Amino acid sequence: MRDFPDIPQVPLRPPGKVMRLSRMGSMFPTRLSFLRTLIRRLSDEQARLTRPVWNICAQGFGHAVYSIDLGGHRYSLVAVSNDLPADARTDRVIATAWDTAYVLYDGVPDTAEIARICDAAPKQEAARFTERDLVLSRANKSVRLFGHVVDRLRSGKQPDEALVRNTGYLMRTTAVYGNGKFGIADRALYDERPGLDGPFMAEMLTVWMIRHFTHDLVEHIGGARLDRHLRRHLGIGNSTGLGMAPFLVNHPVLLNNWVMARETALARARAVTAPDTAVRDRLCDLARRAGRHLAEWQVPDAEHQGRIDRLQRDWQGRMAQILNLSQTADAPGEALVALCESGSEDLQELMAALVIEPFGDLVDGLSDCMSDPFGAMVVPFSGTAALRTAIDREFGWALGVDYAGRENCGQFWYVSAAKQEPRLGLRFEEQGAQKESPLDIARRISALRGDLETKDEPVSAFLGRHPEHALAALRVALGGRYPYAEIQDNLIAETCLPIDMLRCKLSFFGASKFDPKSDRWTRITLCQGAPLADELGPGADDWWLPVFAG
Amino acid sequence: MSWSASEIAALATKAARGAGAPAGQAARFGEAAAFCLMTGGAPAALEAALAAVPAGGPVLDLPAALDGIIARQGGELRSDAPAILIRAYVAVLPFAADATETGHGRWKIMVDLTRPSPRPTPRRISGCDGLIACMSELAARTFVPESEASRAAGAGAGLNDND
Repeated sequence: MRDFPDIPQVPLRPPGKVMRLSRMGSMFPTRLSFLRTLIRRLSDEQARLTRPVWNICAQGFGHAVYSIDLGGHRYSLVAVSNDLPADARTDRVIATAWDTAYVLYDGVPDTAEIARICDAAPKQEAARFTERDLVLSRANKSVRLFGHVVDRLRSGKQPDEALVRNTGYLMRTTAVYGNGKFGIADRALYDERPGLDGPFMAEMLTVWMIRHFTHDLVEHIGGARLDRHLRRHLGIGNSTGLGMAPFLVNHPVLLNNWVMARETALARARAVTAPDTAVRDRLCDLARRAGRHLAEWQVPDAEHQGRIDRLQRDWQGRMAQILNLSQTADAPGEALVALCESGSEDLQELMAALVIEPFGDLVDGLSDCMSDPFGAMVVPFSGTAALRTAIDREFGWALGVDYAGRENCGQFWYVSAAKQEPRLGLRFEEQGAQKESPLDIARRISALRGDLETKDEPVSAFLGRHPEHALAALRVALGGRYPYAEIQDNLIAETCLPIDMLRCKLSFFGASKFDPKSDRWTRITLCQGAPLADELGPGADDWWLPVFAG
Repeated sequence: MSWSASEIAALATKAARGAGAPAGQAARFGEAAAFCLMTGGAPAALEAALAAVPAGGPVLDLPAALDGIIARQGGELRSDAPAILIRAYVAVLPFAADATETGHGRWKIMVDLTRPSPRPTPRRISGCDGLIACMSELAARTFVPESEASRAAGAGAGLNDND
């Protein structure tokens, strides 16, 4: 992390509070979310999106190329649209065909390269790609909304606003692959380029460009333009399953840096005293907007809708106090956080995200600290006594649990043979636990602690006898330098809900309108309310918790 | 066919686990294997290292030995592992480090804890089809066939999503 010693801040929230699954599963996007960072960058550069190729038939099939300059480089999205039979349309990662497929290309593809991508992209994982291909993705239509919009446009009308508001996107991506998958470029090839140097920036750029393709496609088929406020509200959906969850465990330094940046932003916002009237008014406006957003956040799952409804009641029930404290408190950020401290984690995290929002000048620079250019810069423990002390001091949350008990080890993570995707199995009901993936960090640290004897000896000698503890020893070493690196929960417990990990990661992407379909996968909306390509510029990045502008 | 460095690192990590290496050592092997193949090859050395698992060999021995040296901020490494493999393991350490062979399986390892290791520019990897096949076979040992139970538990979306 970079040092910013001149900006006052209150103490950071402790990892033992922040890094619990239930709180991670309550997180909201903030202005440090990656899509927000991207939009600010595009706005700063006044980036221009062009569409040099549009080879799409009247029915909407064919290909198109979009190009944009960012940080001194030109990138192109090659979009391929195919006629997909309805019975082949599935959001599952094991699908083999999609309505549309995409490659973010490094540069501008010539005719041969376009032909190569048009052949390969629809095959997705079954094809091989090159280092000019930076991101690979695919998306399926939201059939109900897409068809409705086409029909309305063809009849000279705009689509039903309620349907646009409630669906929020024309297509859903079901995978956005980066970093070398299936032969595409290693992230290290471009992660020092301005604009693509933050986490997942190439993927976010791809998603934002895909959104424009979905707008153009539906207007092309419908033969008329969508009203701007409808296009603005139409983001890009995403369907995300278990494949995303292990990432947070397998990238502890990155997770630390994301959370550290966000928590530092919150600590700075809480430390602000006597802000000017504009900031106070902004807090009030954002609080009202959040209330509207919650009201528009409707999902089919009754349990999750109940949770949203409770949050909305809690929020509206405090609205008068929120508005009053925003206008009168000496330190409104601190006062607003305190106001919600007795409420649910949903309420607390919503307020945390709100409090950060008005203070871009204090916090936006933290986005530069959210990548992981160096890896785990930790010195391994030399002796087992120091290792033991560190476990007792910082990993108490992992100790004292009977990991042999069914409730504490009832699930196991594994990689499926079908598409080599992460999965979560039931240990006592399914086969395969002997091939378990090493996501059981808490159990491993507890086992390491159990095998450490009271005598002090070189860790290398100890690991010579117990090589199975090497991973746990590394994670303990990480804890000293990266306080937010570990999810402080038992990820193989029967109570572990992967959806909490998904929401945490997706909130850092900038996702909103979480729509869980089970405790293992969710639909979300990306880029809803984000500026369109012709709206980039000063002040464009004002779309936290977007609301329908109809 | 060419491969990305990330693909090779991921595959080599799974292969080491499939061969019987613990998770921590497998991950270190994955990074070292990608570096090896990016900088001149040594597929035979990598295949031999995997073949020695789980009984022993560099996949199991080098990480702990190098960690001990890092903790001492440098020192001597004794290993009969191939030089290209030792250099790769040293190159992927988080700190700037250098390995000098002093003879008879002895190496002088210098570590600078004040500087991160310079990042290698990834290069495409090709010409190692035999190793890829070997690693793929070992990696497959870590995969679990999907079952009706996993599908029923909601690992992914529904089978049809026309909404």
